[in-house]
Amino acid sequence: MGAKPFHLGWFMSFRPPAWNSPFCAPVDAREWASGDFYVDFARSLERARFDYMMIEDSSMVSDIHAGSYEIDLKHALYAPKHDPVALVPWMTGATTHLGVVATMSASFYPPFMLARTMTTLDHMSGGRVGWNIVTSSEDRAAQNYGLDKLYEHDERYDRADEFVEVVEKLWDSWEPAALVLDCDSGKYADASKVHPINHEGRYFKVRGPMNTARSPQGRPVFCQAGGSPRGRDFAAAHAETIIASAQGVAAMREFREDIRHRMAERGRNPDDCKILFVVNPTVGATDAEAQAVRESWTAPAVQRYRAEAALGHLSALTETDFSSFPLDQPIPDVTTNGHRSTLSDFIRMGTGGKTLGEVAAAWSIESVPLVGSPATIAAEMDEVMQEVGGDGFLITGAGTRRYITEITDGLVPALQARGLTRTAYSHTTFRDNLMEF
Amino acid sequence: MTKRWRYGWFVNFMPTAWKTPWAQTSPRRWLSGEFYIEMARMLESAGIDFIMLEDSVTVPDTFGGSMDLELMYTTRSPKNDPIPLASAIAAGTRHLGIVVTMSTTLYPPWMLARVLASLDHLSRGRIGWNIVTSAEDRAAQNFGMDKIFEHGHRYERAHEYVDLVRQLWGAWEPDALVMDRGQGRYVDHTKVRHIDFAGKWFKSRGPLNTLPLPQGHPVIAQAGGSPPGRGLAAAEADVIVSAPKGIASMKSYRDDIRQRMEQVGRDPDSCKVLYMVTPLVGETMADAQAKARRMYDEDPDAIMRKLALMSSAQIDYSQFDLDAPLPDIPDERGGQSIVNELRKQGPDKTLRKLISGSSQSESLTLIGTPESIVDQMEEAMAEVGGDGFLFFAGGGGLITRHYLTEILDGLMPELSRRGLARDTYPHQLFRDNLLLP
Repeated sequence: MGAKPFHLGWFMSFRPPAWNSPFCAPVDAREWASGDFYVDFARSLERARFDYMMIEDSSMVSDIHAGSYEIDLKHALYAPKHDPVALVPWMTGATTHLGVVATMSASFYPPFMLARTMTTLDHMSGGRVGWNIVTSSEDRAAQNYGLDKLYEHDERYDRADEFVEVVEKLWDSWEPAALVLDCDSGKYADASKVHPINHEGRYFKVRGPMNTARSPQGRPVFCQAGGSPRGRDFAAAHAETIIASAQGVAAMREFREDIRHRMAERGRNPDDCKILFVVNPTVGATDAEAQAVRESWTAPAVQRYRAEAALGHLSALTETDFSSFPLDQPIPDVTTNGHRSTLSDFIRMGTGGKTLGEVAAAWSIESVPLVGSPATIAAEMDEVMQEVGGDGFLITGAGTRRYITEITDGLVPALQARGLTRTAYSHTTFRDNLMEF
Repeated sequence: MTKRWRYGWFVNFMPTAWKTPWAQTSPRRWLSGEFYIEMARMLESAGIDFIMLEDSVTVPDTFGGSMDLELMYTTRSPKNDPIPLASAIAAGTRHLGIVVTMSTTLYPPWMLARVLASLDHLSRGRIGWNIVTSAEDRAAQNFGMDKIFEHGHRYERAHEYVDLVRQLWGAWEPDALVMDRGQGRYVDHTKVRHIDFAGKWFKSRGPLNTLPLPQGHPVIAQAGGSPPGRGLAAAEADVIVSAPKGIASMKSYRDDIRQRMEQVGRDPDSCKVLYMVTPLVGETMADAQAKARRMYDEDPDAIMRKLALMSSAQIDYSQFDLDAPLPDIPDERGGQSIVNELRKQGPDKTLRKLISGSSQSESLTLIGTPESIVDQMEEAMAEVGGDGFLFFAGGGGLITRHYLTEILDGLMPELSRRGLARDTYPHQLFRDNLLLP
């Protein structure tokens, strides 16, 4: 008896694909910003019946590492990265059922603007968009928006709670029956069903109403990724799908149970949120071939390159200069106002006397390592889901057409053969498909 | 020797005609954007230089003191966000310029700079930005303010805003992308700089996190008619859209703009001035005149719609007697040029007389056969000096495919025959197609 059917998503950003891979066509490496690579990507995921594609985002070029933009830009870590909102219509325009989730920051967007953009995207996609609610985590991003520093970690979530309250009011400001479209009376919409919201809170003041009609889903699917206690509370309050990166089956299980418990405490049905765990599968035609790919990552030159990128990444994320720490020593004690759970996961990898250099070279964000043939990985995912209880996986990892195919035409058919992932979309809207099981 | 004119089409992401002949089968289909994407393709096949997507962010409640009449005549609402539509149009066309309206009062500058950069890449260099400052208190109230800034102040802020976003677009040198596989270097960090902008009103550290734009910066469009608006247009615009009434006003407007451009050290030919028109094309003159009567005089909605549209700037035109001259209207902060234009046409005429018989916002009343209309256009351009026209089918709830084909398949071929239009796009970039001969 295998696991219950589960969901698949893909975690990506609107940024260069794995441009330095021998399997990345130069045209994709250079012209990814023109959208074609991502349109094909979205079509591939729809063919494999993914629930959704999640476009991550951030708002800076980071010069925290060694006080220079060099490592960030050399590896194309945080930049270049283009606006997900601009990309969404390309993906939804090229697909018919795939959900597309855009990341938009509650710390930087005016709430009215975010609510309206999402409503428009939901109309244009026929009800297939989601919003990944982030609060942003870097002072460098805040400085682009005229602030000296980002709001403090927990305060960001307090603001975000109110932000969500405001946009929900805006999405409800047109009642479902507001469009009457009555040629005889000449009435397009019934003004008695359109309401100013007159929100005046601690952080936001918005009169409303929304200036366009209610969208097919009413509001986008809410996605969230917070791993800190405050982030988990926020997710339990709002999220319909969560991006989770607990390390190992026990931690995955603990995370999911904790979220479900927090949801129940707030009177939400825990099944109303699907928790997807980040994985980075290495798929080969055979187990040996997949193992060989992972082995190749341990070559000294590759290790150095990976460690350099990892430290640039962590520096940007935590706004601590990791270039200032010796590579041959244990990871120092670091705290951050940014991505707290990512940092603590990294520090935890160093327990048992590993050096900063070793951990950095091996660092990847994945809940469980998955290496092998499609059949092997599918069996392992089956087992993990049985242990964890649900609700699916979020693929991340190298963006090449070859890698995408290994997942969509290799791994997914093996999952489908086990009855673990969908072979068809039963509904038209993203939310209905996500909540189907 | 004749020279080619430039053509744009001004449109709102709003309901298409829904209760008149030639309406679509569903009054809600516009919401998906498909009509407008199809329209963009039609414009492209007729050789129109650009589509211009208007925007505003309120459900007005000045006309008649509530939202009732607005939601009956749909002059400004419901209206979707033009940004996702601009993106979808970029996906559906290859040559057409796409100008999107965004407000300097409401958008955080870094966010605006980034989404336009992303769109310029997606369109492979075909994006324009129509700079507006927003005029309504109701708009301000959706963004946390009680009142909109005073008219002159909005334009002062706009100058600084444009300066800031231009610096952001310039923060990556054009050859920053090196993609050096040997060194594992995607971007040369020595070609990317922060801008540390700290002005009177705006502050942004930068740099932008996007690649340098195909066009360097978007084509800048502007529509200001008031002196501060003209000042901004003369300083920044590549294309100006305007609606001074009659040939004399058109000429003095263009002369004034060109003089202002010279004063700020710009070549007057580096900006095209387009005049708004709503040609009514018939197979015979009588046919066209009958059409005009139906549209402007017999349609009971037409007068109401115009009054509603005029009421958008804090004045309720429902308070005036339709059959008396317009009384003195005290100076107010928004929409000054519209009021002054109207009064200029005849201080003694009744309000009904003032607003019937033609479209409200057009420079020339063009009613006739393709030949007679192009004669009129030629006569005007000979007097005015240039540079072309901006077509407009009327605001929300008026546009039809039928009207589009009359202009694109009726009028444009006549313009083409006389060498005044072309149906090819010799350049990749919108700016080159617009500004090069």
